[in-house]
Amino acid sequence: MTAVPSTSARRTRAGFSILRRGGASIGVVVTTLLGLLVLTFVVGRMVPADPVIAIIGDQADQAAYDRVYSDLGLDQPLWRQFASYVGDVVTLDFGESNLTRNAVSTDLARVFPATVELASAALIIGTLLGVPLGVAAAVRRDSWVDHLARVVGLVGYSTPIFWLGMMVLLVFYAKLGWVPSGGRVGIYYEGLIEGPTGFLTLDAILARDWETARSALYHLMTPALILGYANTAYISRMSRSFMLEQLQQEYILTAQAKGASRQSVVWRHAFGNMRVQLLTVIALAYCGLLDGTVLIETVFGWPGLGQYLTTALFFADMNAVLGAVLLIGLISIAINLLCDIAYRMLDPRTK
Amino acid sequence: MTRTMLLAGAALSGLAFVSTTSPILAQTPPDQLVIALNMSSMRGLDPQELNQFEAAEVVANLYDRLVTLPADDITQVEPMLATEWDVSEDGRTFTFTLREGVTFHSGNPLTARDAEYSLRRLVKMGLAPARDLTQWGLTADNVDQMIRAEDDTTLIVELPEVWNSQLVLYSLASFSASIVDSELVEENARDGDYGTSFLQTSDAGSGPYTLRTWRANDILIAEAFDDYWDGAPAMRRVLMRNVPESSSQRLQIQAGDIDIATRLSSSDLQALAANEDVTIQTTPGVGFYYIALNQQNEILANPQVREAFRYLVDYEGLSNTVMQYYGDVQQTIVPQGMPGALPDERPYSLDPDRARELIAEAGYPDGFSLTYYATPVTPEYEIAQSIQANAAEAGITLNLQSGDHIGAFRSRDYELFSARTGDRMPDPHAVFASYAVNPDNSQEANSSGLMAWRAAWDVPLEMQNLVEEAAHELDADRRAEIYTELNRMYLESSPPLITSFQRTDARAIRAEVQGYQGSTTWITSWDEVTKSEN
Repeated sequence: MTAVPSTSARRTRAGFSILRRGGASIGVVVTTLLGLLVLTFVVGRMVPADPVIAIIGDQADQAAYDRVYSDLGLDQPLWRQFASYVGDVVTLDFGESNLTRNAVSTDLARVFPATVELASAALIIGTLLGVPLGVAAAVRRDSWVDHLARVVGLVGYSTPIFWLGMMVLLVFYAKLGWVPSGGRVGIYYEGLIEGPTGFLTLDAILARDWETARSALYHLMTPALILGYANTAYISRMSRSFMLEQLQQEYILTAQAKGASRQSVVWRHAFGNMRVQLLTVIALAYCGLLDGTVLIETVFGWPGLGQYLTTALFFADMNAVLGAVLLIGLISIAINLLCDIAYRMLDPRTK
Repeated sequence: MTRTMLLAGAALSGLAFVSTTSPILAQTPPDQLVIALNMSSMRGLDPQELNQFEAAEVVANLYDRLVTLPADDITQVEPMLATEWDVSEDGRTFTFTLREGVTFHSGNPLTARDAEYSLRRLVKMGLAPARDLTQWGLTADNVDQMIRAEDDTTLIVELPEVWNSQLVLYSLASFSASIVDSELVEENARDGDYGTSFLQTSDAGSGPYTLRTWRANDILIAEAFDDYWDGAPAMRRVLMRNVPESSSQRLQIQAGDIDIATRLSSSDLQALAANEDVTIQTTPGVGFYYIALNQQNEILANPQVREAFRYLVDYEGLSNTVMQYYGDVQQTIVPQGMPGALPDERPYSLDPDRARELIAEAGYPDGFSLTYYATPVTPEYEIAQSIQANAAEAGITLNLQSGDHIGAFRSRDYELFSARTGDRMPDPHAVFASYAVNPDNSQEANSSGLMAWRAAWDVPLEMQNLVEEAAHELDADRRAEIYTELNRMYLESSPPLITSFQRTDARAIRAEVQGYQGSTTWITSWDEVTKSEN
């Protein structure tokens, strides 16, 4: 028989385990990010677009070409370019964008909040509509609610978001004049509000500039509703199947047998048990929104991360591409970690 | 379920609230001009570094130049910062007298020292637009002696050789010869960068507009400069917004949310042409849609094969469809309206049978197969597809490969390539100096800036000498004669750089906007823009 370890020894061991786990996750994070960088860097160098031509134009002579080529450090061997890039990144210097001529970090600080604002609004809409719709469809299977959910899901899945955006603009902007055309805020309110959070609607409210706030909200509404709709389709579909799965469990019968109300069975018992799965779906949807808003950003002229990344790719602006990819990678990892933490809080089995 | 409906109801009423209470402007304010554009290729705003159409328009309004070319007569050199100028009898020395009492946006006075600084800066930085001055023999080594301020109002520009003085003045009217605030730029210079990292995102000019806000790929706001020497402009603000989608621009100009739409697709332009609130303005450009036949390829080096390709372009069909707003048929090499132009000289039309005969005579009765590079953008790709189809009828198989092949073109690593050029000097010299000059055709020469070298074309010496002679010629009539001769000579040589259309740049403009005239030389001015009340 082994001796029962003392309380302090147990505590120490638990401490080590947290440390180890923490160390392991940092290791995973660093490896993932490094892998991401290597991959992006290599792919970026294989893209046929020539950053020098993008800068000097097609007609420039060889002397100008060579000058810019060496200014960009492209005459260095690839490994050295990569090493010096990673060296800079470690000191949080992401270099300068060839395209915007700003530090990449400055650009990201500008475009990322725009995407977060749009994606968050879309996620809130998607969740608030999708979860109740999915639950209702599961509870009243084959009723009209279920059919409605199915139609919403089918249309939401199968309609290209780009096309939907154009159609909304055509009908609600061009024909009816109900919604604005694009951008984050009415053009005459541009430049009035700068900072502190980068979320324009919030910043305008903080500054008590109600006119700008209203304009910003008004501009946010249409793209957020379109993205939110696509997410409603996804989230309601998943919620429905999670709920159906729970409703077939034995504990539901038990609860019903004990005389729990229908309301309580659905929301307290069944919903309580699908929260973890739902959280995963919502987190995934959020990740998808953060890097997947590019099409809607293009249609609505929304100056966000997706548009920044695509433009940078077209012009072989590698510092900008790497910085943006790194940021998306970091955010995905962060959302996953947050999910992990939330599981532990929500799911008693992980305790 | 009731919850769902409640939430949906709340969301809808929220939308209704915001949309019904927001003011929708059917028109932009009468003292503001709103321009929509695709900003993605608009890089920095340093006049001596950039080489890009949209950025040049901004710079042309933030800065002044010694002289300018009005958009409606681009061959007429007019005073700007220089009130008058004098060319020495030998044609080598230009003396400019500068306007007094001009101030920069910073409040610093503008003197000949600033002009000296700016022009030297252009040459010494040696970037793409430096060619505007270096082509006249100015170099980083000699420019300090050649360009000098005599006093606060006198600037001397001296050239090592005699060149036609009109050509030199055209160069000085270019956006690249903008006069920058030397004091402000030097204050912001870091490690000998000539202040370029500062100027890329800032304004150090004296022009009618000052830069208020610029967020790359998002928005640019310029404000009228009240102390402008020529009087403050009518438009208080000019707002440029990034609207990358052509169809979004079209909806916005129809609704009156923007005043000017740019780089629209062919179908959007056609749709807007029917709208009476909008006019379509096309500005001719100094450039062509061309096909380059690499002369290192044995088949393409045959003059009859080269000529055969001229019969494979559907000039008429294209100009009625995709090219309607993008270009005018042009088979000669001098742009229309310039000395030496031959507007009626159009000997070729689509004729695959004739092309088949020509390649048979050249020794390829069974045709041949080649790789054809084209950029996948409108209208370049549509032209390429049309040529591919016509070639097939003549027995030529072209493997069309779309992608960014400019690099391959510049290093002569291709067989056929088509794209378009865009120059800015309003003179045939700009075209000939690239299409018909190639002093050393060897691979080692690496003259990748010259179209003729890229096509590996050993240009007949006679032609090259004539180009040189015309640029040095001081007499205008004699120059026009030489260019007419060169133009014919080029056409008859079955050149490997085949021109099919002269490019035009189309914009859609709201009817109430007056005085916005696109400039062939990229210096479109906002100074004269007004809006009519209606």
